[in-house]
Amino acid sequence: MASKKTAQKTLSLAPVLDLNEATALHEKLLGLKGSDLTIDASAVERVGTLCVQVLMAGAKTWEEDHLSFTFSKVSDAFEKTTQLIGVDIDHLMAKEI
Amino acid sequence: MDMNEIKEIFFQECEEQLAELESGLLKLNDGDRDPETVNAVFRAVHSIKGGAGAFGLDDLVSFAHVFETTLDCVRSNRLDPGPEVLKVMLKSADVLADLTNAARDGGGVDEARSRQLIKELEALANGEVLQASAAPEPVAKAAPVVAPVVNDEGFQPVAFSFDDFEADEPALMEMPTYEIVFRPKSDLYAKGNEATLLLRDLSRLGEMNIHCDMDALPTLDRLSPETAYFSWKISLKTDKGEDAIRTVFEFAEWDCDLEVSLVADGAAAPSEELPMQPVPFDLSILDDEPVGPVGVIEEEEQLAAQQQIRDAAVSAAGTASNVLQMAQSAARAPVEKSAGAAASAAAQSAAAQQAAASAATPTIRVDLDRVDRLINLVGELVINQAMLSQSVVENDANGTSSINMGLEELQQLTREIQDSVMAIRAQPVKPVFQRMSRIVREIADMTGKSVRLITEGENTEVDKTVIDKLAEPLTHMIRNAVDHGLETPEKRLAAGKSAEGTVRLTAKHRSGRIVIELADDGAGINREKVRQKAIDNDLIAADANLSDEEIDNLIFHAGFSTADKISDISGRGVGMDVVKRSIQALGGRINISSKPGHGSVFTMSLPLTLAVLDGMVVTVANQTLVVPLTAIVETLQPEAAAIHSFGSNQRLISIRNSFCPLVDVGRILNFRASQANPVEGVALLVESEGGGQRALMVDAIQGQRQVVIKSLEANYTHVPGIAAATILGDGRVALILDVDTIVAASRGQSLKPEMSLAAAG
Repeated sequence: MASKKTAQKTLSLAPVLDLNEATALHEKLLGLKGSDLTIDASAVERVGTLCVQVLMAGAKTWEEDHLSFTFSKVSDAFEKTTQLIGVDIDHLMAKEI
Repeated sequence: MDMNEIKEIFFQECEEQLAELESGLLKLNDGDRDPETVNAVFRAVHSIKGGAGAFGLDDLVSFAHVFETTLDCVRSNRLDPGPEVLKVMLKSADVLADLTNAARDGGGVDEARSRQLIKELEALANGEVLQASAAPEPVAKAAPVVAPVVNDEGFQPVAFSFDDFEADEPALMEMPTYEIVFRPKSDLYAKGNEATLLLRDLSRLGEMNIHCDMDALPTLDRLSPETAYFSWKISLKTDKGEDAIRTVFEFAEWDCDLEVSLVADGAAAPSEELPMQPVPFDLSILDDEPVGPVGVIEEEEQLAAQQQIRDAAVSAAGTASNVLQMAQSAARAPVEKSAGAAASAAAQSAAAQQAAASAATPTIRVDLDRVDRLINLVGELVINQAMLSQSVVENDANGTSSINMGLEELQQLTREIQDSVMAIRAQPVKPVFQRMSRIVREIADMTGKSVRLITEGENTEVDKTVIDKLAEPLTHMIRNAVDHGLETPEKRLAAGKSAEGTVRLTAKHRSGRIVIELADDGAGINREKVRQKAIDNDLIAADANLSDEEIDNLIFHAGFSTADKISDISGRGVGMDVVKRSIQALGGRINISSKPGHGSVFTMSLPLTLAVLDGMVVTVANQTLVVPLTAIVETLQPEAAAIHSFGSNQRLISIRNSFCPLVDVGRILNFRASQANPVEGVALLVESEGGGQRALMVDAIQGQRQVVIKSLEANYTHVPGIAAATILGDGRVALILDVDTIVAASRGQSLKPEMSLAAAG
C-alpha cells in the first residue's frame, strides 16, 4: 500500500478523451504534480491520440520527479487503443498486491 | 448548426467543385497537360467523395471513388488523357453532377448510364495499368506501380469485412510486408482526424505490428496538448496492396508524413531493433457505432467516425466559418509547414495550390432572401429620397443652398448604396456557361456531330435573377444551334469546313447591359424554307416583300414553332418564340443575323439588373411614362417640314436624309383617340429589336431618373406594351414602356401577343 507520508491522489478519467479533452486533461495533470498519482481509466469509452500523449507525458514527468504514476483500472477500450497505437502501458499498471 | 445546414454547405461546395472539375477537364481537353490542372480535377472529385461519405451518400461515394481512381491514373501518368479518355471523364463529370443533384433534391438518376460509365472508367484504369506495369504480378514485386484499387468487381477492395479477413488468413504467410512510417502533424488532430482511427483501419488490412515513437514527447509542463508528438513505425502484412494502405490515409494525406515501402522478404522482421507491439485483432470495441453488417465500406466507417468528431468540434467551435472549414477538412489543407520528404510531390503541389486558392479574397455565404430584402429596402430608400427632394423643391422654391447640397449628397450616397447592393447580387455567368458545355456534349452525342464549344467572357457579371432565368433560353438556343444550326460532319467536309463544328458563346458588357452572343459556324438560316413555312402557316402573305432580316426574325414567331416537322427545316425554329418571350420577360432583346453557309449569330442584350433602371420620364396624354434609357438613341424636336405622311395613317420623319417611322405612343396605348401633332411633341429615336430605328412620339420630356422597378405582373397583371411600373418622387405610379412591343404594335402587330399577325412588313 502507498506510504502514509506521500500524498496519494487519484484521477478518474472522463469517458470520452477526445481532442477537446486533451487540454483539460493536461491542466488536471499539471495541477496534480508533486504527488503520487493513480489513474482510474475504467470509465474510458473512447480515447484519442492527443490524450494518450498527455498521459504519457505525465508518466514521463512523474518518473523524472521520482513519483509513482500508475493506472489502477483501465477499461477494455483504453487498453485496446493504447495497444493499437503501440503505446505500452504495462509498466504503468498498478501491481496487485 | 444542425446537420441539414452542414449538408447544405456541402452541396454548395459540391457545386463549386463540380464547376472546378468541369473547367479542369475542359482545359485538359484543350491539351493542357499542367499537373496542377490534373490535381485540381482530382481534388474536386476527391472532395465531393469525402463530403458525400460523411453524409452517407453511398451512390455518390461509389461513383466518385471509381472516377477518382481513374483520375489518379492520369495524375500518376499511368493514363494519358487523350480525347477518348476525356470524353468518358466529361460524361462522368455530368453523372457526378446528376448524382449530386439527386442526393440534394431527391429523384433518380440514369443508373444504366452511371453503371456504364463506371465500367468505362474501370476499363481505362485497368487497361493502362496492364500496359504500364510489365511485371505480370504487380503486387508480388516491389514495383512502383501497384494495381489500383479497382478490380473487376468495381471498387470492392475498399469494402472490407471481417469475413474477408478470415478467408484471407491462410494466405497470410505469403503476404508481402509493408513498412509504414506515419507522422501526423498537429493539423491532423485539429481537423478532427484521429490517428487511432486511422491505425485501426490500417490494422484491419492485415497483420500489424506497431512501434510508437515517443521520443519527441516533452514533459508535462512543456507539452502543448494539441500538438502531435507521437509518430509510428508500422509493419503490416497484407495482400491488399500499397494503394489500400494509402487509401486508409487518404483523408489525412495532407496532414501527415507518410512513407509506405515494401519489405523485400515478408518473413524477416523489418525493424528488429525496435520493439514492436502486435496489434490485437478484435478492435470492435473501438468502433463508435454498433457493429454494422458485414461488407460495410470501411471508408464510410472512418468517415462516420470523423463526422462524429467533427460534430463535436463543430459544437465547440460553433461558428459558421469553422463548420465550413471542417466540412472541407478532407481535402482542403492549408500548408503551414513545409511538407516532409514522405508526402508525394503531387500532394505537395496540390496543397500548395490549395493554399493559393484559399488566399483568394475571403467570401461569406449569405441567404439570398436577406440580400433581396436589402435590395428592396434600398429601392424604397431611393424612392423616398426622390420624394424628399421633390417636396423640398416644391415647398422651398428659392431653396437654401445647404439643404440642396445635402440633398444632392444624399442622392449620390443612395446611388452608391444601390450600386453596391446590386453588386452583391451580381454573379459571373460562368456557371450557366459551364452548364452549356454539358448540353453541347449531350446533343452532339445524340446527333452524331462533332462540336466544340468556345466560351468567352465567363466572368462577366450580371444580376443573379438574370443568370437564373438565362439558363433556360440559352439551353434552348444551344440545342438549336447544335441540332439545326450545325451540319453533319459529312456535309461540313463537303462544304469545305472542318468536320468539327464550332459554337461560340460570348458574354460582354455593353453600355450598361450584358450582351450574350451565340454564334455557330453552321449552314445559316435557309431563308427560302423559312419563308415558305411562314407562308404555309399563314404568317405572312405569299407576296409579302420581306428583308432578309425580317425573314430571319420570323423564326421567333409563335406560329412558327407550333408547326409540324420542325426539324425538317435546316434553319432553326423550335420554340424560338419561347426563347424570345423569356428574354423579353427579362427586359432583354434578341437579334439574329445569319449568313448562308457561314452560320448564324444570336445576340441577346439583357439588363444587368432587374431591380433598377435608368429611364427617361416622359408625358404622353397627361400620363407619366418611363422609357428605358438604354433603348433611346437620341431625342429631337420634329419640325413640320420633316414629317411626311405615308399611307392612310402612317407618318415618317426624316432625320439626316433617311426616313424613320413615327410611332404615336399615345395612340398605341389608347391614351387618346386622335393622332397627336408631332410638332408639338418630342420624338425619341429608339433602336428596335430588328435593328431598325423608330421615332417614338411623346408630348414632353420631364427628365431623366433612375427608377426602381416594381413588377406589374406581380402586383396587378400583365399589360401589353408596358414592361413594369415604378413609383416616382411624388408618389405617383408611372408605367415603364416596353419599347419593343410598342414598336412591333406600330408595325401593325397587335399589342396582344396571343393574336397572330396577318401580315408582316
